[in-house]
Amino acid sequence: MTKKRIILAKLGLDGHTNGIKIVASWLMEAGFEVIYMGLYNTPEKVVKAAIEEDADIIGLSFLEGSHIYYAERVIEVMKSYGIEGKKLVFGGVIPPDDVERLKEIGVTEVFLPGTPREIIISKLESMIGERDEN
Amino acid sequence: MKREIDFDAYIRGERPKNFKTASGIEVKEFYTIEDVKDKSEIPGQYPFTRGIHRDMYRGRFWTRRQQTGYGTPEESNRRMKAVLRAGQTGLNIDVDVVVKLGLDPDHPLAFGDIGLVGTSISTFEDMEKLFDGIPLDKVSTTLIVSPPASLVIMAMYILLARKNGIPEDALMGTVMNDSFNQLVGPTKEAELPLFPIEANIKIGIDLMEYCVKRIPKWNILNVNAYNMRETCLDAKEEAAFAMCIAKEYIKRLIERGLDIDDFAGRIGFFSDIGMDFFEEIAKIRAMRRIWAKMLKEEFKVKKERSLWFRTAIQTSGLALTAKEPLNNIARATIQTLAAVLAGAQSIHTTSYDEAYALPTEEAQKLSIRIQEILAYETGITKVADPLGGSYFVEWLTDKLEEEILKLMEEVEKEGGFLECYKKGWVDERIAKGRKRYAERIEKKEDLIVGVNIFEDDEEKPPISISKVYSSTMQKSRIDYVREYKKRRDTSKVKRALESVYREAKKGSNVFFPILDAVESMATLGEICEALRRAYDFELRIG
Repeated sequence: MTKKRIILAKLGLDGHTNGIKIVASWLMEAGFEVIYMGLYNTPEKVVKAAIEEDADIIGLSFLEGSHIYYAERVIEVMKSYGIEGKKLVFGGVIPPDDVERLKEIGVTEVFLPGTPREIIISKLESMIGERDEN
Repeated sequence: MKREIDFDAYIRGERPKNFKTASGIEVKEFYTIEDVKDKSEIPGQYPFTRGIHRDMYRGRFWTRRQQTGYGTPEESNRRMKAVLRAGQTGLNIDVDVVVKLGLDPDHPLAFGDIGLVGTSISTFEDMEKLFDGIPLDKVSTTLIVSPPASLVIMAMYILLARKNGIPEDALMGTVMNDSFNQLVGPTKEAELPLFPIEANIKIGIDLMEYCVKRIPKWNILNVNAYNMRETCLDAKEEAAFAMCIAKEYIKRLIERGLDIDDFAGRIGFFSDIGMDFFEEIAKIRAMRRIWAKMLKEEFKVKKERSLWFRTAIQTSGLALTAKEPLNNIARATIQTLAAVLAGAQSIHTTSYDEAYALPTEEAQKLSIRIQEILAYETGITKVADPLGGSYFVEWLTDKLEEEILKLMEEVEKEGGFLECYKKGWVDERIAKGRKRYAERIEKKEDLIVGVNIFEDDEEKPPISISKVYSSTMQKSRIDYVREYKKRRDTSKVKRALESVYREAKKGSNVFFPILDAVESMATLGEICEALRRAYDFELRIG
């Protein structure tokens, strides 16, 4: 079985990395191959990396409130590159009222602060399972 | 899961999970006078462990200084007035990350972050709108901004004072100006793509030099210990790193030919208060003692004021939980109490809704009320250092002093904070801190009510969450800056920017040409870009 590959990145200028760093280490320990792109990325850069690295999931982290704007942009770019089938996951300080909106835009899953490690891992693993069945 | 009745709770009994402080110091059953080394310290006397003033809050309360800033300068101005009306006694202006990175709103990567966690500001006009109707000679203001942007924002502030006929020696406030903590903590990942660190410190010193010589009541530096701490470092790391950072600046200010007694009293700190009540109080007490001893013994200051460790305090945002957010009111109140008992000069009580977003006006008002209740109803302000002489608090202060000094020595041995930062030592500490933080919560070594103990069903938080800015705000900021650039004398702007570039290249003080550039209608992003060019540096973002 190939390794589960996930891209982790922050978009725009938001520099907060506590969450994404902790989640990155959890996923590595759980056997994921984490492609950590760090800070200050554009949606284009992340989508291209997802294609080049053949990642199963794109995981993006937010703290400042730019999640709706970037969800729309990333989905747009994913469509233009024909990879809208890939799973897009958000995590971070996101008001619960925005979760539904993010899912309407096309985000598969949203993890809010305090989500335990095992829930994040099991949800991501089942997502990859879904992709294989398709 | 729904919480069930625990009928065994009484018989089983409850007790602390362990007997260590949050930073891992083992504590005994109880303390006696035998545990206290020095029994003679007095508030307002060297080494100032018990506070920098003999009468402390009897003479003057701490300043209620909630951070404000979001959206356009006009929107921020309204909120600044709202918090002043609600009872705030000082201003604390935060700028958005676009400004913090030295960019204008029309930078390609800026759009999504314009005005989100601070005010968007780019031109002198913006500064006029931001402070419209606020007397700069009466209200003390902290500007939360670091080099290179701090130089531009400060230039705007000074020019605004001049325009309003206020002399520079009447200005009261602080420019944070700490090069290591522009955005979040001192991680290389966050800072290095934006500006070279040595140059960043150098131009920060340029601004400090100007303020030391020209604005006598202005604080030239607020060492941002808070942002470091919030990257999951512990209390002793926060304190030790903050002290080592201060030393880096002091050395350079002396090298610049300034007299330490002209600037030491104008260096402040911005500290965190987490949930471990006594440890946080002891930390601030220990920092006061360490600072006084360091300035006296190592830097040989002569003025008493130079020995005063003065600190703004913000209660921890990291300690707030998204689950059951109303619990955060209790957390923030306890932390604010700790800040008062520790002897803070100003306090920002983080609002209960900040685990989700910037605070609503209502939540900010509640934070101010918490401080007012503590100040006016509880009586805790009537005696200086009421915890002084507590066997435990005195012992813990000594213990933390020892631990902090040990860590400071380690940093010095590694070549000082800048060196540690450059070689990745600081990043490693932060990585370890984050791992430790996550593990302790996961393994329930640290217990957080509603999160990893006593969890209860709660679909959605029973609070309203701020949607502070209008949907057209970001576009309006971009349109504004583009329009502003069209109505200037382009050749004048170009000449002014060339002068910034030239003086930076020569290594002269860049603050003077920056003042001219702002006056010539150059934007914040353009001035910062001229500085980056002078240091042969290209942004590494996007």
